[in-house]
Amino acid sequence: MTTVDATEVAVRRERWSDDELLELELKNIFARCWQYLAHESEVPEPGDYVLRKMGRDSVIVTRDENAELKVLLNTCRHRGVPLCRADSGNTSHFRCSYHGWTYANTGELRGVTYQRDVYGKDGINKAELSLVSPAKVDTVFGLVFATWDPQAPSLPDYLGDIVWYLQAVFDKYPDGLEVVGTPVRNIIRTNWKTEGENLSGDGYHTTITHASAFPLGLFATEKDLVKLSDEVAPKFTGRTVVTPQGHSMRVQRLPLVLEGNHYFGYPKELWDVFDSRLSPAQQQLMSAMSVGHGSVFPNMSFIENFKTNVDGPDLHARYVRITVRYPINATTSEQLWFVLCPRGVDPDWARLSRLGYLRTNGPSGLFEIDDTENFVGISEAGVGQQSRSLPVVLEGGRDHPATPATVGWPGEVVDGDRTERTIRSFHRRWDELMAPMYDEGSR
Amino acid sequence: MSAPTAAGQRRPLTRPHFVPPDVRAAIADFLAFEASLLDDRRYQEWVDLVTDDFVYLVPTPRTPDSPFRPHWDERSMLIDESKWSLSAQWFRRFDEDIYEMAWAENPPVRFRHLVTNIKAVALTDEKLEVRSNVALIGTRQSDLPKYITGERTDTLVRHDRQLFLARRWVTLDQVLIDFPQLRIML
Repeated sequence: MTTVDATEVAVRRERWSDDELLELELKNIFARCWQYLAHESEVPEPGDYVLRKMGRDSVIVTRDENAELKVLLNTCRHRGVPLCRADSGNTSHFRCSYHGWTYANTGELRGVTYQRDVYGKDGINKAELSLVSPAKVDTVFGLVFATWDPQAPSLPDYLGDIVWYLQAVFDKYPDGLEVVGTPVRNIIRTNWKTEGENLSGDGYHTTITHASAFPLGLFATEKDLVKLSDEVAPKFTGRTVVTPQGHSMRVQRLPLVLEGNHYFGYPKELWDVFDSRLSPAQQQLMSAMSVGHGSVFPNMSFIENFKTNVDGPDLHARYVRITVRYPINATTSEQLWFVLCPRGVDPDWARLSRLGYLRTNGPSGLFEIDDTENFVGISEAGVGQQSRSLPVVLEGGRDHPATPATVGWPGEVVDGDRTERTIRSFHRRWDELMAPMYDEGSR
Repeated sequence: MSAPTAAGQRRPLTRPHFVPPDVRAAIADFLAFEASLLDDRRYQEWVDLVTDDFVYLVPTPRTPDSPFRPHWDERSMLIDESKWSLSAQWFRRFDEDIYEMAWAENPPVRFRHLVTNIKAVALTDEKLEVRSNVALIGTRQSDLPKYITGERTDTLVRHDRQLFLARRWVTLDQVLIDFPQLRIML
């Protein structure tokens, strides 16, 4: 297998602004790849459902009466009207508002109104008119994914080495994580890829885009660090991980000299649990981590973040967030924001965690609004006739040395996080998927 | 708004006992003045209009599965701020030593508050519940203006014959929010 960094990647700016390209992405990426839909905690009981999207298709994610997860394309097989109009709820059946066709939450068509009169005495073949479902639905650590492609690899094969990192983020809690309430949804005037590229591992932008966070005390500085350890190391260190499937992650470590594992920001009673649930290499990943974030190809990102002084001096918080982007057009996307909380955790800690999230990486958080301004700009400036064909610079981080194999982190890991390698990795995978339809040279 | 009650639970209309016109006029003046400080980005002065225990809360809007359930979810908030967090984090970004690095707020989005349908009832001698409709219009750079609407439920208190804002709770109408940015004082 060729390593990601051995492959040249040239990316023109039209990738963030061209509507024709988006049509091809919908066919070659969103119709084929596994996509993150929901967290199992959002649909805990039979009948629970949430409304999500795969590309531009609305899908109902539900749990049927046998407690099995189902994903149903939200459109009546009769004349195409959406069956579900609420963002979330609980029901055993979905009835169309147009002519009353009724489906069980397994997707089976159960009732056709005035069937004999309309379709004759033999009626209509209901067995052929179930709601359409993705070819495969599967979960990992409570994360629900689906794909339309019957030829798609299994979810574990699709995720590859990023599973090990997802496990460290999502599966270290004694009673699991749960999504807190309804996700915020907003429109962002940028291409669906921009935020995911950033979250894939761009440790280069942090001190510039988020410069205002230093005087506000939200980044751990010397003043905070000396209270966390007797010995403060000279600087933050980071690593990035890429996989051939286009998934990636960045991990930044607090500059502290420490004995044993320190899961800063978590209640102490969870530290021992993490030690028992994580492998030694995963413990090394999570201990003293200031921030870890990554992207699962194509449109899901996650972040686990330690932020200081979020609700007053020395009130530090840690939180786990998931975001997904749905394309509307090449320069407009819908983003969903999920904050997760460990089940059964102390309510005061949970509140501080949520405040930390809202004030930094929440939809109104100051990190996010500064990031978004950059993402919007990429699409805004990418529509020009001159600018669209310009390449972007994605050479960053080529000299970062491979992390010693003895560290035991899977995937292609390097020491260094001021990099563009995770974005190169995303676009190398994008090139592979788009290759049959898209030849940049001919456009 | 409060969610409508289901059929069979209807109650006869009870008219709220609104405050007398002079109190209402003082409240309307207060809200107009307060909104103008926000529109003018005089945030550090605006802070002097709120109590030390002030909270600003915006629950996440949603389309519920029943018209008898609220169109918001307070388990997950969009905004949850205190006087401390607004002063030390939110408004601090507009200070001269920081604003050049507060990218999303430089150039700042131009905000315009329209506050209407003010209804005030006295909770105690010193405490009022004031409901109003708010439309916030935001204009980013050369973009066309965007707007967002909602209902405020404010708690106002009187100290030394002056009004102060003690709590602001805003429920939004838009579920898929389309606004220049979501760091918004509604």
